[in-house]
Amino acid sequence: MSASGEGPVIGIDLGTTNSAVAAVVEGVPRVIPNRSGQLLTPSVLAVARNGKRLVGQIAKRQAITNAENTVFAAKRLIGRRWGSREVEDARKVLPYPLVAGPEANDVRVRMGDRVWSVPEISALVLGELKADAEAFFGQPVTRAVVTVPAYFNDGQRQATKDAGRIAGLEVMRIINEPTSAALAYGFGRSIEDKVVVFDLGGGTFDVSILDIARSVYDVVAVGGDTYLGGEDFDRRVMDWLVFGFAQEHGGADLRSDTMALQRLKDAAEKAKCELSAVAATSVHLPFLLGGGEGRPALHLERQLRRDKLEELTRDLVARCIAVTKRTLDDAGVRPAQVGEVILVGGMSRMPLVQQAVREFFGREPSRGVHPEEVVALGAAIQAHALAHPEQGASEVLLLDVTPQHLGLMVAGGYFQTVIPRNTTVPTSATHVFTTSHDDQTSVRIAVLQGVSEKAGDNELLGEFVLHGIRPARRGEVAIEVAFEISADGILGVSAKDLVTGQLQSITVTATSGLTEEELRRIMDENVDDLLERKQARGELERRRATAEQLAAEIEALVPAVTTALARSHFGKDAVVKAQAVVQRVHAAIEAGDASQLPALEEQLERTLQLFRGLAGGGGRPA
Amino acid sequence: MTVAELVEEGISAYTRGDLVAAERRWRQALALVPGDERTLSYLALLGSPPAPSAPAPLREPDPFSPQEPCRGEGRATLEEYVPSPWEQEPAEAVPVVISEGEGLDLASVDEQSEVYTLVPRTPPAPAAGRQPHVEVWMRGARELSALGDFTGSLELIERILKLDPAHAEAREYLTHNEATLIAMYESKLGPPGAVPHLAISPEEVTWLSLDHRAGFLLAQIDGTVSYEDLFALSGLPRLDTARILANLLAQGVIR
Repeated sequence: MSASGEGPVIGIDLGTTNSAVAAVVEGVPRVIPNRSGQLLTPSVLAVARNGKRLVGQIAKRQAITNAENTVFAAKRLIGRRWGSREVEDARKVLPYPLVAGPEANDVRVRMGDRVWSVPEISALVLGELKADAEAFFGQPVTRAVVTVPAYFNDGQRQATKDAGRIAGLEVMRIINEPTSAALAYGFGRSIEDKVVVFDLGGGTFDVSILDIARSVYDVVAVGGDTYLGGEDFDRRVMDWLVFGFAQEHGGADLRSDTMALQRLKDAAEKAKCELSAVAATSVHLPFLLGGGEGRPALHLERQLRRDKLEELTRDLVARCIAVTKRTLDDAGVRPAQVGEVILVGGMSRMPLVQQAVREFFGREPSRGVHPEEVVALGAAIQAHALAHPEQGASEVLLLDVTPQHLGLMVAGGYFQTVIPRNTTVPTSATHVFTTSHDDQTSVRIAVLQGVSEKAGDNELLGEFVLHGIRPARRGEVAIEVAFEISADGILGVSAKDLVTGQLQSITVTATSGLTEEELRRIMDENVDDLLERKQARGELERRRATAEQLAAEIEALVPAVTTALARSHFGKDAVVKAQAVVQRVHAAIEAGDASQLPALEEQLERTLQLFRGLAGGGGRPA
Repeated sequence: MTVAELVEEGISAYTRGDLVAAERRWRQALALVPGDERTLSYLALLGSPPAPSAPAPLREPDPFSPQEPCRGEGRATLEEYVPSPWEQEPAEAVPVVISEGEGLDLASVDEQSEVYTLVPRTPPAPAAGRQPHVEVWMRGARELSALGDFTGSLELIERILKLDPAHAEAREYLTHNEATLIAMYESKLGPPGAVPHLAISPEEVTWLSLDHRAGFLLAQIDGTVSYEDLFALSGLPRLDTARILANLLAQGVIR
């Protein structure tokens, strides 16, 4: 186990569809199973119809039957502004309602009887992973490295950090997913090459090109399709099953029943996964759909072969390759120049995907690391290196860098970079600009972050107007714009007329959409919840001790009571009844069910009183 | 069998929709105690005439029986309808223009001629006999509840509430019966935190007689989810989930 005095540190892959947590244990990075024994936890949260909050696999299992109160793919929304193109796209496909934040700034989610900020939603998934790690280590875990897509801007990264804070985690660093995958892949070996990370996850496809040289992991190009992933493959299988079922049962439509659809989705995903390892599998769903008035429920029984699955999804795989080709073309990289191809995401285990990658790159993709674990493992390696610099892990220590270009909007609506992507922070840079019109006396400074040449496609971080510029012919005035990023990631931008000395400035702090005050309130509420749970645990412990003591006393009296009852004509079933009560107590204690204990405690007390009377009173009840 | 048992079995059969069995049981009860008011009131539900020897029962009129066209009070008379145009004067023929390629629109003809179908002046009174029908069911629900047959009682209550959603006593019984049934079924399941397991092989499941809701719940039982989780993820009312799980447990499908 980790030897740190401050407790273990973990790496978290907070995915769109699934999340995973890992840690370096006795020098070896490994994924920590959740409390159900699974290595992946679905990034799904729900408020069930009975009001219970569900996270992970349980929430996923009722995602279709309780669609309006189940939140998945929150990562698509984190740190996004209300009204942005990404949020509008998400609104078209997500079944749960989205609303604007208090100042119409960020996007929020309505679930159950309240509105949630997106960092709060992600915090619940992070909290679940934290609890899994704590159960694994047997001690509190408070520090983590969390991964995000390489294209995430500062706002999205800050929102992910806020999610960590709400979950009670100090986010030591946010690192890029492809970088994390490359770190895990390169663990224990030296890589100095051009690496492509082909990440086909549950909901998104990302392809990244990294230049790795002397421990510098430079993400030089990123491409992808944010609406292409394993779920599209599942849907193809589901459609095939629905159509086949309708043919077999006179047009019976499984899509009309949410329970049937939920089972169908689970079965389609399972069959798809199985076909990565075997050539054929059977989908067996008994009592899937009501048969109608007085008729028995209908079963679904079908064989799915790998070649059929490939036929159903060939176009999706082709889309992945087309996106990969476009990304490489944009970066001016030929497939033959790529030294390694790292496969990430569960869907990349599909043989057809691997074959397509092999054919495109003309080389075998990596097989050394598990595609669903590799990102979390890289994060764990980074967390370990940050927590244990003394252990000579500095070769995998990543520097804190700017994720995207920072700059200004210039005439024509173009974007002028001032601080390029991947610049190590803290840093500063200046750039001299001039006016675009004769006798111009003011200039608008729009501070942007992004990778597009067009200013409008990048994220606006803040803006201000510099007044009092000396009237002159266009191009004659010199305005110096300075960008400075502190070690805390706070960006200061100033603009100065070099002749008049007129100065105007702005400070930009990456924001998740949550104010500090709101964040504190949420964290306080979580502390209250925690205290309540602690009190409930204390109450359970107290009741457990009392119940165990009463049960032990009753069990000790059983021989005496049995003897006493043998001389009597009544009360023969007293011992059997008492044993049943004791059994129920043991079962409730084992299940940790505090709600049953008060009633059982009362029964135990009555039984004990009776037994004491019987044992000491010659078989007559007291 | 006692009269009470026969009546109870009759009610169970009736709530199952097996009217033949219900009538048989109630007639057997009536044979044991001729003229028994309770038995007669149930037979009245079927619109069955009592045995000739029985004294004239307090018959509940059957709203759906063709032998009883008369609905008693609330019956609409001709006077209660708006006057027919024919009663005033013959309707004038109104020229109806049919455009080329169009058919005759009867509704339009109706409108143009101002000759309308007869319409009652006031909305028709609720079908006579419904209220007494509800009262018989309510009486049955009370008795079944008192006998401990909360399922039977609940079924009758649900029928009452379909006809009269605001029926206060039925609502009260609904809450009481539901709570009692949930407690009964949950006590059979054991602690909510316990994790059920499939007790038969997946192949054997096909040979069971289940509905699709039970099929859904059964599909969720994989040795990792607790009863409490099943209540949360089923999406069904708690009572239905508890009932299905208790039945699966009783049938030995899960353990």
